[in-house]
Amino acid sequence: MSTSDESPGAAGRHGLVRAPQNFAGGLLLIALAALALWLTRDLDQGSLRAMGPAMLPDWLAYGVGLCGLVLLASAFLKDGDALERWSLRGPVLVIGAILAFAITIRPFAFGGPSVPGLGLVVAGPLAIIIGGFATPEARLRDLVILALSLTPFCMVLFGDLLNLPIPVFPQALAGLFPADWSQKAVLRATAAVMVLVAIAVFFAGRGRTTRTVDVADHTGRI
Amino acid sequence: MGDLFSNLSLGFGVALTLQNLGLAFLGCLVGTLIGVLPGVGPIATIAMLLPITFGLDPTGALIMLAGIYYGAQYGGSTTAILVNIPGEATSVVTALDGHQMARQGRAGVALGIAAIGSFFAGTVATLVIAALGAPLTKLALVFGPTEYFSLMVMGLVFAVVLARGSILKAISMILVGVLLSTVGTDLETGEERMTFGLPFLADGIDFAVLAMGIFGIAEILRNLDHTESRDVVRQAIGRLLPNRDDFKQAYKPVLRGTLIGATLGILPGNGAVLGPFAAYTVEKKLAKDPRRFGRGAIEGVAGPESANNAGAQTSFIPLLTLGIPPNAVMALMVGAMTIHGIVPGPQVMTRNPDLFWGMIASMWVGNLMLLIINLPLVGMWVRLLKVPYRLMFPAILMFCCIGIYSINSLPTDVMFIGLFGLVGYMLMKFGFEPAPMLLGFVLGKLMEENLRRALIISRGSLDTFIDRPISAGLLLVALVLLVLALLPSIRKGRDEVFTE
Repeated sequence: MSTSDESPGAAGRHGLVRAPQNFAGGLLLIALAALALWLTRDLDQGSLRAMGPAMLPDWLAYGVGLCGLVLLASAFLKDGDALERWSLRGPVLVIGAILAFAITIRPFAFGGPSVPGLGLVVAGPLAIIIGGFATPEARLRDLVILALSLTPFCMVLFGDLLNLPIPVFPQALAGLFPADWSQKAVLRATAAVMVLVAIAVFFAGRGRTTRTVDVADHTGRI
Repeated sequence: MGDLFSNLSLGFGVALTLQNLGLAFLGCLVGTLIGVLPGVGPIATIAMLLPITFGLDPTGALIMLAGIYYGAQYGGSTTAILVNIPGEATSVVTALDGHQMARQGRAGVALGIAAIGSFFAGTVATLVIAALGAPLTKLALVFGPTEYFSLMVMGLVFAVVLARGSILKAISMILVGVLLSTVGTDLETGEERMTFGLPFLADGIDFAVLAMGIFGIAEILRNLDHTESRDVVRQAIGRLLPNRDDFKQAYKPVLRGTLIGATLGILPGNGAVLGPFAAYTVEKKLAKDPRRFGRGAIEGVAGPESANNAGAQTSFIPLLTLGIPPNAVMALMVGAMTIHGIVPGPQVMTRNPDLFWGMIASMWVGNLMLLIINLPLVGMWVRLLKVPYRLMFPAILMFCCIGIYSINSLPTDVMFIGLFGLVGYMLMKFGFEPAPMLLGFVLGKLMEENLRRALIISRGSLDTFIDRPISAGLLLVALVLLVLALLPSIRKGRDEVFTE
């Protein structure tokens, strides 16, 4: 589907490594094999009659390492694809969004200090807004609207309709609601408030930036 | 024959209850909805939507998941025709002629013939499954650990042969996948392997986590790199129902496509992927004027789409009868079955006949529903396609996080989809294809178990794999395939099929 776009240029390059992509791939495989062998160094190989826990992983690691070596060798002998351009923005922000979601969804301890469980109310918008900036075309206002409308949708879908045990609120805020409200009533009330804020943001910014509001932009970018 | 009908009527009894009809409908609808989004294939769709089936009974859950699968597949074809972005490998071929038809203002006919062809193929495939299910289950009973191991080796060799690009890279991906599957507690000795002493790795790597990381997150990362232009059809969709001439041109390709797809789908090792390619090639060879292909030939949509759907459905056969998932989607089905306490394999049919036949009957129901819901909803899908990616991927991202968190309620699972996403992205950058790795991972645990058992029975002699006739036959097929794939002349042909 997506082969390297720079491959035509590859033929003209000089140097020892003629297929950088295969070179890197080979190194990766060899590193992986070495890691597996190192991790299983204390485990018993066993015999064919009674295989130990380490036998299959070790064989496989040798296999992977061998493939890596062949790939590495071929990188010196045959011309191949160049490495594609790497951009840091996408991976860093997307992984950052995932980590932010993981540590805020429920109490999470890093050894000593711990993050209080903030629930979906915080984790969802955090993931959307951090992740959303992974593309240079991101617009904060659109992302805020998206976050404030998708999060309540998910809260109602997963927490209310499907009854999945997913934490929704910061535990510290549980006392803010009247004591006789049920968990679900609180959930619905919060969802409704978020949707209202989303609508408010949508209309508030409308007057000023009418041109950019058009959600179905036709620049045809993906 | 009488058995077949009594079984099918049992199945329809289960599938046609109001609740299950509703679930099949919901599954198809949601599956299509997510499947239509460019860059989200069936694997990511199912992994994302797995949690919404948790509250259901096993039969209902599987019916809904099957619906999601067909829906996602169908949604992929819709995107291929309207936007020229194939959601996954099997709709690549549809994009060739389908999108050209759309540009000529015949998008409706292309979508219509795809839906009708898929429905016909689905009907035939349902009958094939019903007819083959029982005999193959009996075959499974003569399979010992030795045969199972050899069968899985053959399946993996198939996957290597069918993967795109370098064969060496495909082999290494499979080995890495099997290696990943050995992470976790060793079943026989209870010793922890490669867990870094981390408690959440003691049970091994969760398949849904791996699949979501590699097919959900890595795909997002890759799409962010490529700012391709999205070429949504501006012309009118046109009428949806093909006219008499269209039918005349399309009915034979539909028949041939169904046959090709259904046969290839049964093969272990993701034979279903080959179906659309094979059907397209056959149609092009048989056509009076092959030049029309690639310029909006209706046969180029009808054949591959039928093959696609037939294969998607018959790939349930190895799972339901032998308990071996032939591709990543079926592996997710295994995950779903295990969550509901059902061990896939030949015993499902005898122990849970309701589930087995209900699911088969619901496949046909699901196909019918797709036909009914999709054609009127085309307008909605078109609007969905116009949502820009910058708004779509944060939503997908959050759905992935919520979906994976709600499976085990573990924040570490969420972190791992990030890790595997990054790994998958790196692999793609180095020219590896992640699909074979996933299959290796899926079959890895089963393979190790069966290998160990076979060797205990044979007292440590590897000859057992050659001495037993069925096992020897399977290994021979695997060897021949591998050699054929490595032969230069065939290799060239293989490259041509995949680049076309």
